[in-house]
Amino acid sequence: MAADTGLAVSAGRGGFDARRWGAWIVSVGIWFIPLLWIDVITYMTLTIAGLTMGALLFLTASGLTLIFGLMDVLNLAHGAFFVWGAYAGFSLLNYLNTLGWVEMASLGQSMGSLVLTLLTALVVGGLLGILLEKIIIQRTYGNHLKQILITMGAALVMTEIIKVFWGPNDEVILVPAAFKDSWDLVDIVVNKFRGVAIVVGVAVFAAIQLVLQRTRLGITVRAGVENREIVQVMGYNIERIFTGVFAAGAALAAMGGVMFAIFKEQIYPGMGDETLIFALIVVIIGGMGSVAGSFLGALMVGLAFNYVAFLVPKLALGVNIMIMAVILLIRPSGLMGRK
Amino acid sequence: MTDLTPVQRERWHEERTRYSRPGFLIQMAALAALVVIPLIFPSFRVMDVVAKIMIFTIVVASYDLILGYTGLLSLGHSMFFGIGAYSLALVIYHAPQPCWYHFLVAAGVALSLSVALALIIAFFSLRVKAIFFAMMTLALAEFTDILAVQWYDLTRAEDGVSFKLPGIFNLGWSGPTLGGIEINGRLMTYYFILVVSVILFVMMVRFIRSPVGRVLKAIRDNEPRATALGYKTFRYQVFSIVFGSSIASLGGILFATWLRYVSPGSTLSTPIMLNILLMVIIGGLGTLYGSIIGAAFIKMTETWLPDLQQAAETVFPNMVILHRLAERWILYFGVLFILVVFFFPRGFVGTAREMIRRRKAIARKRS
Repeated sequence: MAADTGLAVSAGRGGFDARRWGAWIVSVGIWFIPLLWIDVITYMTLTIAGLTMGALLFLTASGLTLIFGLMDVLNLAHGAFFVWGAYAGFSLLNYLNTLGWVEMASLGQSMGSLVLTLLTALVVGGLLGILLEKIIIQRTYGNHLKQILITMGAALVMTEIIKVFWGPNDEVILVPAAFKDSWDLVDIVVNKFRGVAIVVGVAVFAAIQLVLQRTRLGITVRAGVENREIVQVMGYNIERIFTGVFAAGAALAAMGGVMFAIFKEQIYPGMGDETLIFALIVVIIGGMGSVAGSFLGALMVGLAFNYVAFLVPKLALGVNIMIMAVILLIRPSGLMGRK
Repeated sequence: MTDLTPVQRERWHEERTRYSRPGFLIQMAALAALVVIPLIFPSFRVMDVVAKIMIFTIVVASYDLILGYTGLLSLGHSMFFGIGAYSLALVIYHAPQPCWYHFLVAAGVALSLSVALALIIAFFSLRVKAIFFAMMTLALAEFTDILAVQWYDLTRAEDGVSFKLPGIFNLGWSGPTLGGIEINGRLMTYYFILVVSVILFVMMVRFIRSPVGRVLKAIRDNEPRATALGYKTFRYQVFSIVFGSSIASLGGILFATWLRYVSPGSTLSTPIMLNILLMVIIGGLGTLYGSIIGAAFIKMTETWLPDLQQAAETVFPNMVILHRLAERWILYFGVLFILVVFFFPRGFVGTAREMIRRRKAIARKRS
């Protein structure tokens, strides 16, 4: 597998690869096609909306691809972590609001409460992830069917517990005051929270890549995926590392959940399932286990969804399935997936 | 006489004891019970539960063909179920007058749609990895659900489609009264469902005992070996998916026939898929007869659990958190699901068969 990717890189370096460049030009150019039907201002607004959605989707999908690609666990409880993160953030924001940090906040206070909320979501997601991995997932490594069934059951239980504590209805989540209004860039209206979402998405992407590619921990994780026994023989505690990766994936999902909830300004127990489908599509498009792939995939899905939703609203949900089908036809293992 | 091969001997034995085995007697008794039940308990509730158990037995058994006998996890079985239900509902709803041939049209539409979809899913996802199949089916099923909710002109969205059935299935129809039992449209529908589901179930039993079924089991247990023996494993897997999905869509037609009402929530949504999964796991993977147990268990709890809940509310009127806990019966299904997957991975029928086998082995050792 490693030799295969190495070969592809060296082929790319040596000389002008027409096919590769053609693919790049087509894949970048395709995003300008909607300009034929949409005027520039609307196009820019839609693009920013699409990028926001992409960034938010990436937060969720990155956790899924970490767990799935690195540990080979298809985690259908991912949506449940997402909802737990969202509800934890919801409660914290409600509490912070009693201190005057949310609805009446200054810029600094808004930033502070957002950071606190994200941290809470991360911690809640991480703890739940550790719990689930220790109690349930650890006993099912290597058995896909069991994993899928077990995580499905876990998702059910976790979502139902949410309904017990917070009730089954839609709620309005508070948005920190400083992110409520929008910037006006040359007639293009950009909601401030969208900017925040894009920044957070890119930052998380950079952080994951940095950790996986440049640190000792990342190398160990990647090695553990390739060959579990050898890493164990080298003296690393592989079980603890896997628990950590699972917790990290769950924490990312939880953070994605709270960001998504603030973006939508509402929250309900079923939101996890809906997002899980999007995240699955993103992971399939991007190729399993490739964080960069799921970043690209998330942006594609977000952009395509917004353009098509503007042009032909009824097709909006179908377009993602269509993209997935086309990509699977061309590259069965996804954009950046390993063969 | 020449020596028989083990398989031949087994078949000969099976043939000879066919009508005297306890299994056969149980089957006949169950069939008789299904025929008699609506006559003994004329209340709608009992008939409703039994009819739903029959319908879900078909759906779950067809799911078992794919999951238990072929080893492929599909998370889109509710989609095929819903396709069947919606074909009947929409054909009758959009036609001026309900007619007999609408059943045939609906079956044709449902079968062709589900065959086409199953083929597409199989060709897209099986090429890569079995796990893709699970993800693809999940995504597609969710998409169908959303489509049904969004496309108001065709499906009436969440309002659902209610429709009338033709002739003797119509609720308004009432026939003669025989021995104190009034023969009405609902009763006729019940027997229609009984006949069709028995036929479909026997078809599935024959299918898994056919050579194709044996090859499927071989592929499930050891795919490289089956390939090495010269079987085109991909073709067999596709065949199994298409067959199972088509039967599920026929089950959907039965469901629509019984309820005369179809909505996304009752046919296409994820909870239905979860129910099917739970039934197949509780009954036992790869047992086919387990689907009866699974469907019966879940449908009966679903019907009679709310009574228990009301009892809990009258006994403890002031504990809100307890009420909320009682309301969330899906929570207990989830816990049960996890426990069954962990401790009884073979399900009810699988575990029972194992126990019988073990007891027989001990008895043989003693003699």
